[in-house]
Amino acid sequence: MLGEVGAGWPSHATADVRADEIELEAPEIRERMSGNICRCGAYANIVTAIEEVSA
Amino acid sequence: VRPFAYARATDVDSALTALADAPEAKFLGGGTNLVDLMRLGVETPGVLVDVTKLADHDRIEETEAGGLRIGAAVSNNALAVDPRVRRRYPVLSEALLHGASGQLRNLATVGGNLLQRTRCAYFTDVTKSCNKRQPGSGCPALKGRHHNHAILGHSEYCVATHPSDMAVALAALEATVHVQGRDGSRTIPIPGLHRLPGGEPQDDTVLEPGELITAVELDPPPHEATRQRYRKVRERRSFAFALVSVAVVLALDGDRASEIRIALGGVAHAPWRATRAEETLRGGTITEERLTRAAQAELEQAQPLRDNSYKVELARNLIVSTLLELSA
Repeated sequence: MLGEVGAGWPSHATADVRADEIELEAPEIRERMSGNICRCGAYANIVTAIEEVSA
Repeated sequence: VRPFAYARATDVDSALTALADAPEAKFLGGGTNLVDLMRLGVETPGVLVDVTKLADHDRIEETEAGGLRIGAAVSNNALAVDPRVRRRYPVLSEALLHGASGQLRNLATVGGNLLQRTRCAYFTDVTKSCNKRQPGSGCPALKGRHHNHAILGHSEYCVATHPSDMAVALAALEATVHVQGRDGSRTIPIPGLHRLPGGEPQDDTVLEPGELITAVELDPPPHEATRQRYRKVRERRSFAFALVSVAVVLALDGDRASEIRIALGGVAHAPWRATRAEETLRGGTITEERLTRAAQAELEQAQPLRDNSYKVELARNLIVSTLLELSA
């Protein structure tokens, strides 16, 4: 996921798909977890963990 | 799953021959829909001819006209993230990124996306009647569960919708599909590839048996400063099909719409070009009042079913709000 963000791949949570750089904010992380990791309430901490690792 | 043979085609001629030689054969793209349908017994091909490794079919190339030629085996993700697509056809990137999940988009091809089947629950359940799966058997969706079915262009034989997001953007971009058959090649415009159900809902498209989609071609955007947007309303924010979606391509000359194209998804058996709304708006200013009138002109033709009249209002609101935002 971080590789895709680094390569500038947008998601549908990206405000402008024409932009070259992606800002990895919580909505981006959640969307990119979709299909990979359950996004139910119990997993809210994973978003924080990803934010931490990507910082 | 019924046992089947698998063959990987290396050139278009051998792919076409393989299909012609075995009437129960089907082309295989990413398999993200076809293989699911095989597991359900909805599709029972005797032979799968894999067309994902055809030479050059995984390329996106510039055309002499200044557009793009997208090979049919290009993955949905490769197309969505291509910088040329993102900059010149953002509505296409947005539509693709609103579809399925990352894993599915990595596998799913452009050709396969166009040819995916409806997700109508009666179509995918072989214990139920379905005119699309078994012509003449009836349509339980007419009086049954149809909250996510068609409001435009449907018939008493079929009320299913086409599930593709990508095709809706391609309809707004007026893309052309390149098709190869044993008797030669031809091009088919979008809209035009997908048909309305009429009395023959078994045919999703106008393709002849054995014809292969080889590429999708995009003209240059209609105007340098074209504004584009894809918006999708669904029951959850990710990994779900559209209830209603809209693709808009807009060019403004001052405050007037010199070019406007609106396509709707989730409302019909094919991507739906909102030509009545476009005609109402073309050449004029974009105001909320005019937008409301245009959307009304389009949705006047809607024939909602018992449980999906919400889609009429949703489509109307989506046209108005998306264009208001885009013209601001």
